Amino acid sequence: MILDQLVWPLTWVLAALVLGPYLLAVLDGLVARSLGPTRGPGIWLAPLSRGAWWLIQHTNVTEAPDGRAWRLAPALYLALAAGGLALVPWSRTWVATDIATSLVLWGSIEALATVVIFLQGWSANTHLTLVGAYRYVALGLSYILISMFVLIGVALPAESLALTQVITSQQELWNVLRQPLGLPLFLIVGLAITFRGPFNLADSTDLAGGTSADVSGAQRLVWEFARSAMLVAFSGIATTAFLGGWLGPWLPGPLWVAFKMLAVLALLAWLGPAFARITPERCVSLMWVVLLPLAFVDLIWAGVEALL
Amino acid sequence: MELLVLFVILILSLAAGLLLQWWPGRHHPMPTYPQRAPFLGGGLPDTHAWSRFHVRYYPMALLLIAFEMEMMFMYPWAVVYVAQGMKAVMEMGMFLAILSVGILYGWREGVFRWQ
Amino acid sequence: MAVSWLARLAARAPVPVFPALGMRGEEALYRLALSPDIKRVDSPRHASLLLVAGGVPPSMQQALRRVHDQLPAPFTTLWYRSAPLVELPQAAVTTVDSLDALPGALVESHGRLLRNTVGRSPRLLPDAPPHPWQGLGDDGHGGEGMMGGVPYGRPMAMPPTADLRDGLALDILTFRLGPFFPLWPPGFEAEVTLQGDIIQQFSVRSSPFPRALAPVFHEARERPVAIAVLERARARHHLQALFHALHLAGLEDLARHALRLADTCPSGDIVLLAKWFTAFERRLRRRGFFVLHLPKCGALRKKQAESQGGFAARAAGIERDVRAEDDGYRRLAFSMMTQQAGDTRARWRQRLAEIAQSFDLAARAQRDDMHTAQTDAVETPRGAWHDTRPKDTSHLLEDLLPGLEWGEALATLASLELAALSPWPREEPAETPEEGAA
Repeated sequence: MILDQLVWPLTWVLAALVLGPYLLAVLDGLVARSLGPTRGPGIWLAPLSRGAWWLIQHTNVTEAPDGRAWRLAPALYLALAAGGLALVPWSRTWVATDIATSLVLWGSIEALATVVIFLQGWSANTHLTLVGAYRYVALGLSYILISMFVLIGVALPAESLALTQVITSQQELWNVLRQPLGLPLFLIVGLAITFRGPFNLADSTDLAGGTSADVSGAQRLVWEFARSAMLVAFSGIATTAFLGGWLGPWLPGPLWVAFKMLAVLALLAWLGPAFARITPERCVSLMWVVLLPLAFVDLIWAGVEALL
Repeated sequence: MELLVLFVILILSLAAGLLLQWWPGRHHPMPTYPQRAPFLGGGLPDTHAWSRFHVRYYPMALLLIAFEMEMMFMYPWAVVYVAQGMKAVMEMGMFLAILSVGILYGWREGVFRWQ
Repeated sequence: MAVSWLARLAARAPVPVFPALGMRGEEALYRLALSPDIKRVDSPRHASLLLVAGGVPPSMQQALRRVHDQLPAPFTTLWYRSAPLVELPQAAVTTVDSLDALPGALVESHGRLLRNTVGRSPRLLPDAPPHPWQGLGDDGHGGEGMMGGVPYGRPMAMPPTADLRDGLALDILTFRLGPFFPLWPPGFEAEVTLQGDIIQQFSVRSSPFPRALAPVFHEARERPVAIAVLERARARHHLQALFHALHLAGLEDLARHALRLADTCPSGDIVLLAKWFTAFERRLRRRGFFVLHLPKCGALRKKQAESQGGFAARAAGIERDVRAEDDGYRRLAFSMMTQQAGDTRARWRQRLAEIAQSFDLAARAQRDDMHTAQTDAVETPRGAWHDTRPKDTSHLLEDLLPGLEWGEALATLASLELAALSPWPREEPAETPEEGAA
């Protein structure tokens, strides 16, 4: 019993936590290869060799950091990602954490991600990292609302906040078709929570690496790994909420979830380098004046649709 | 039971993250002061970075708090929405409309401008 | 044992290099950026090799030592056309003089560093805090009070007003952003005062190194030159500037594409180049370079635009172009282009339009073998060159940047050409034969 309920879900989630970021790195390599010539050890070995270099390099210390918080930040980000991944249902009975309010838990994970990213930048006590951290919080405070409105729209037809119920409510039609605004908005939130691509306000080039400017070695490895893990967890939630999770013919549930997650990850990996980095002011205006009203529209649509 | 699994997962991943940072560096010497100086392209800072940083998006954060409270109401609302029908639509519609006026006001007052 | 397979695995990744650019060091940067074996990083903490390209003047050697010491172990240095610092041991120094050998030398150094067969660079500066602070108290605490003294070796940030009763005056951060900041023109050092992430004050401490132009611009002041060659060199210059701006914007693949276009400029098929550039410009727009990234700030006032000259003046609506008075250009029906706004976005629109115009002029000039008519003045990408070379105008930034947010300020800087022109032309590599049909 304990094997069934504790050990199996644990190993499955931890396996996804390790494999997911690796596969995301491979997808990133594929996207980079399509954008220009790359050389190196090939897409399967490239993430491993990058990680090996980070392991060999010494970890940096700054003059007067908040040492504990600085080393905790990447580990906390990883823990948040793992928590998000634990919420994803892999089949009708196979869920690591099946609670009645899993959407609320995911919302709190998203909110805490902002705190953790700020901590990474602030604790180093250096100028460029500090600016990166504070700049990111503006984005962090904005994406939470959009994400929550979209997810509440998904919860309406399910009449429940549990992700397992959300999947069951998609048996006739997936939410991506039923609430078409939801998934695009949610993908934007995904890029924001892992500060990728156009939303890279935290680790941007104009701050010489932003919150990672003074981070090297193993801490960098854990930070980049945690970023990818958070994107994997995010894609798990996106799959569950919009793409029907384990629903699908012929193949077993977990395989469907894995395929759909990989599809979402590929889409996000492609979107990342596709756009220029947005300025913070424009980002905040975009989120509050355009995307939040769209999230309202999505909610109203979902509400009307649920009552019909 | 589920919460125990979640707790174990959180603890394990936190421990893994910390261990992975500590283990390769356990024999490394403490970096010298010049290495620890902040990277400023070769320049020197005047002070430590920690300061009372002027957070330009403070008004936006206040607007966020208002919407967060709305979100708190929407969580149980979503669960009983289908059962309640049009009444629920009306109530939440009013709430959303009032807060949207807040966004509009904030936009006109330049809350989203970075100054 | 475990270290060796890890090291062998790490040696296969693209080499992370931090380029510290001295005078005439950009050519190394452009070669690195196009090499797929090398990853150019923006912070020395991410690098395993410090590449010092181009001569570093003695006044900046202390800054170079600081950057050198900021790389975490293990690392080594490579010096391209630059005299290594004397205190570095021979084992940790590799000098390279040929541009073609540079990527290979970097890869080799990285590999040998990981296999422990090349010397790791030692620390150059003494291991002492900026101000002595330890040991003043029983627990080693230092400093004399709440906001005074030097806790952990540096003072804390203070608000700008002396009157501390005004609790709304938040702190400012002042620092010198040095000559080796990778997002700036090489050699540019400024003292920046930030409040939040908005620049309050910006004072230039050291102007950027003078830029070298292609030899054809210097020749144009002595005798008539082929307009095609002149326009190709102009397009190349602007494309290389675009590379920097695109790297800043996060569009790495487009940045490399711009650099590749720049490399094909001197001898490529002009019609093909023009077509590629139009497609490239379309891609720039679709990927949000203008809409998402470029701010509408940093507008030059009339006087500033006039003193700046070149495309920046034309972007501000000032119709001044030496080419308009040249007979050769008039026969090619040269028409000056201007924008009205004079801000960062307008400058980039102007520059892209001028690149397209250069390709068009070069195509027609090549067909008819046109030459310039006047030799007393030439329009360089930096501005008009009559009797004196365009001077350094970095003091403009002291007016332009305060009040801008950090990212906007850097984008504005990248859109301007502030460096003076060097009296010596760029060294061109050996001429490659003309490729493609004319």
